[in-house]
Amino acid sequence: MQNIPVKQRAKGVQSIDRAFASHFAKSMFITVSGILIISFFATRMFTHVDLNLYGYMVGTIVFLGGFFYRFIAWGERPPTKNLIKKGLKLLFRKSTPKTSAEHLATYRFIWNRGIYRWTQHVLIGWGCILSCLVTFPLVFGWMYFTMAESGMYTIVLLGMNVMTIPADGFIAFMSYNALNFSAIMVILGVCMALYRRLKNLQARAEQQFMYDFLPLYLLLLISITGLALTFINVFLHGAGHYVMSLIHQYSVIITLIYLPFGKLAHIPFRPLSVFARNYREHYGEKSMKQCRVCGNEFVSTEQSNDVIQVLGVNDLEFEMKEGFHLAELCLPCRRKYRISRFSGFPTHEVPVKEANQNAKG
Amino acid sequence: MTKRKLYLELENCIGCRSCLAACTQCGGHEQKNRNYVYDVNPLVNRQTMPLMCLHCADPACARSCPAQAIQIHETGAVLSALVEKCIGCQNCTIACPYGIPKFDEEENLMYKCDLCIDRTKDDIPPMCASVCPSNTLQWLTEEEIEMKKQSHDVGNDKWVTSMHYLEGETNVTVNLPGILQGTVKLF
Ligand code: SF4
Ligand code: SF4
Repeated sequence: MQNIPVKQRAKGVQSIDRAFASHFAKSMFITVSGILIISFFATRMFTHVDLNLYGYMVGTIVFLGGFFYRFIAWGERPPTKNLIKKGLKLLFRKSTPKTSAEHLATYRFIWNRGIYRWTQHVLIGWGCILSCLVTFPLVFGWMYFTMAESGMYTIVLLGMNVMTIPADGFIAFMSYNALNFSAIMVILGVCMALYRRLKNLQARAEQQFMYDFLPLYLLLLISITGLALTFINVFLHGAGHYVMSLIHQYSVIITLIYLPFGKLAHIPFRPLSVFARNYREHYGEKSMKQCRVCGNEFVSTEQSNDVIQVLGVNDLEFEMKEGFHLAELCLPCRRKYRISRFSGFPTHEVPVKEANQNAKG
Repeated sequence: MTKRKLYLELENCIGCRSCLAACTQCGGHEQKNRNYVYDVNPLVNRQTMPLMCLHCADPACARSCPAQAIQIHETGAVLSALVEKCIGCQNCTIACPYGIPKFDEEENLMYKCDLCIDRTKDDIPPMCASVCPSNTLQWLTEEEIEMKKQSHDVGNDKWVTSMHYLEGETNVTVNLPGILQGTVKLF
């Protein structure tokens, strides 16, 4: 308590924060309470909880712990903090839906990195999203099925009957099999990724087992054991179902626990790319920074200042005796300025465009 | 374990741009080079100098990256952005005191010299140093760099540590022009 600045204490707005020992405790408390409250209503006061799925609940809570731990530590870094703060303010820009769709749903930038990589990413990404959309509402009782009259299922979403469907109809078929489809998508995507990792020389040079392969194997394990459950039910009349469902459940839980710490951590962190785009667009429209040497506009004034500030926090001061900070020079001028430091001749002041930087001809 | 380091003898550069061409061929560089060659005084003479990432000990690019996409390899090489982490904010391009990182708008991804880490992690010289015909870019052990210093220390303060002309400590040693004035150079 003692270390809360006086200013904040006076404002009194921080009183909620004072109820918690840390950011972490607060985030955990709010999230878990939120889940419980939604579940309370969705399950009609906990009368429709599928206790077979409790392992996933535990896994989710542990995941949240890891996630907040990582996210908060990460958000404390000066550049991250700055981006999150400004990104939140700019969240309601007109372009946000389009940017979000391109960055988080259609992965246009990955398409530009290669169609093979895009295909594998869509299969894995959307396979995972789809299965999460099905699994977690079931786990927390946000969605369930009841059968009031025989042959007809009622889908209950957040405690409300949304629709009644024939048990052998199309929607029912899609609902039962959603997880099978998503499993097949993930398996295909993972196989493509593994194939690339085994064939591509560059990937082979850089990849590490723990970072690059482990997540793929975990996803594969989840998908295969999930499909095996269906197989057991359909073809083996449920023989071995219990064991397989335990293996499946454990594989999901381990993946959830691992998720915030390895390569898969980019899933919860990736929305920040929308923040970054909004930040660049918004401040770019407001005012552009002119290069202190050639006068060309090269970045928003805001970003130039922010970078200077972040560097300052890290004791990196690039103030030059000429009176500018290096972050105030456009990139070609900054490079030429360095050549001038090496050579003693003011290369950056010669108004000639940099020649042939692409080794073409 | 890498024992050798990149060493630049700037005044040797003949502007052939072999290093740029070689860079495009490094694994993972996808035909795009990540280094530069500049005319020092383009309207007057043909002296050129290469400029590449100096792999700072305290890299401004990585410090300014909100996504921690720029990792530092155990050899000291400051790696290119991790594809899954880079969120395309371009802070790194603004932060680098030498203007090194490049940005691909289409791919929404930063890319920079990774010192050909697939090679240098096994102590194989990076592409640029492998091809440089004028020994501007060399791949040397600490002792060899020290020997360079000794042999060029002609008692007239002509060996200049790169530090003086840079913004911080780097893993790449830059040897400045002028140090060999008056001495015969045998590559
Ligand atoms: S020279 Fe620039 S790009 Fe290279 S490590 Fe230093 S700050 Fe990063
Ligand atoms: S462009 Fe990518 S690598 Fe550069 S600072 Fe932003 S997130 Fe980091």
